[in-house]
Amino acid sequence: MWRGEQRALPSVRGLRTGGSELSAAELRPGLDRPLQISIGRVPLRLFIPEGGLLRRARRRYGDFSSTGGVGLPIRLYRKGDAAATGAFSYNLEGASLVLRSKGAEFRGVRHEYALDSLLRILLTVVLLPRRGFLLHAATVVRDGRAYVFAGRSGAGKSTVASLSPSGSVLTDEISLLRWTAGGWRAYGTPFWGEFRAAGQNAHYPLAGIYSLVQASEERLEFLSAKAALRCLLPCVLFFAPERRAHESLLHTLVDFAADVPSHRLHFRRNAAFWKGIAA
Amino acid sequence: MKACPARNPNLAWREIDGEIMIISPEDSQVHELNETASWIWKHFDGTQSPDAIAARLAAAFDVEMETARQHIVELIEVLDKKRLIAVAAEEKN
Repeated sequence: MWRGEQRALPSVRGLRTGGSELSAAELRPGLDRPLQISIGRVPLRLFIPEGGLLRRARRRYGDFSSTGGVGLPIRLYRKGDAAATGAFSYNLEGASLVLRSKGAEFRGVRHEYALDSLLRILLTVVLLPRRGFLLHAATVVRDGRAYVFAGRSGAGKSTVASLSPSGSVLTDEISLLRWTAGGWRAYGTPFWGEFRAAGQNAHYPLAGIYSLVQASEERLEFLSAKAALRCLLPCVLFFAPERRAHESLLHTLVDFAADVPSHRLHFRRNAAFWKGIAA
Repeated sequence: MKACPARNPNLAWREIDGEIMIISPEDSQVHELNETASWIWKHFDGTQSPDAIAARLAAAFDVEMETARQHIVELIEVLDKKRLIAVAAEEKN
């Protein structure tokens, strides 16, 4: 009766470490004029006090800049010694995130990769009530629709991106999927992997989701909603420990799996897989 | 058996295609139940004894009472070991 099937949801995956350290004495230009960005229609205002990090952040998130002066404020502090009390908190290799009612605080952020990681984590929480989530997946746009190729590290996401026509890759690493305007849409994110030209700030209606499996021949296998959910869960970025957050995620994913055509794509790491998808 | 099994209130679970999928926030494990186990799971509300659930299961699926009871005892054992349920104090009657 019991199937004995257990799978672990990923905790922190695909997060970068290292990167260039900031100099100790930098200007504080970001306190008065925040860096305003919008990722997946989630407006954010980054208050970055250190000039070096601000410059790198502007470069990294430049395609996702927005205007209007609204958005969730995120204040960065070099020191990581604040009490971690808030609606959500998370520690990551010396850096920390605290989400409070009036905004978020990032502490101990020493380089752009830590900032990138904390932004991903924050988005998973902020997207939750908006029927959205982040998925380890490459997204490629074809004929105005988004094809989402999901898989854990090494599954072939970057390969799919590199085999797709120039300019068609929305993201090669982290896809942002959410329900907006009466349908599921894929949004580009600035969170790229190996395919560094990716990261378009655009969104498209979903054509389908394809769970990547490396194989000796191309084959497309249609998945039931439950099988799709089974494939999705290990690829979802999720960090909240609370039951309600898990319930909310599960609710969104069940709806997503029921609505979006899902497949398992067996492929040989060459461009022939598009024939099966287009057929 | 009179003790009433109850689902662990800290779990997130949802039915999909007639079967239950459970996520344990504590350890991020995903658990799946088949159709019969899912039916029983929904009756683990802390108010019904295994015998009472077995009687309902026997009626719903047209199986012998003893077979139904065995299914339930087996499931209780597995789910209790995985801390997905707790077995409440025995009923007074």
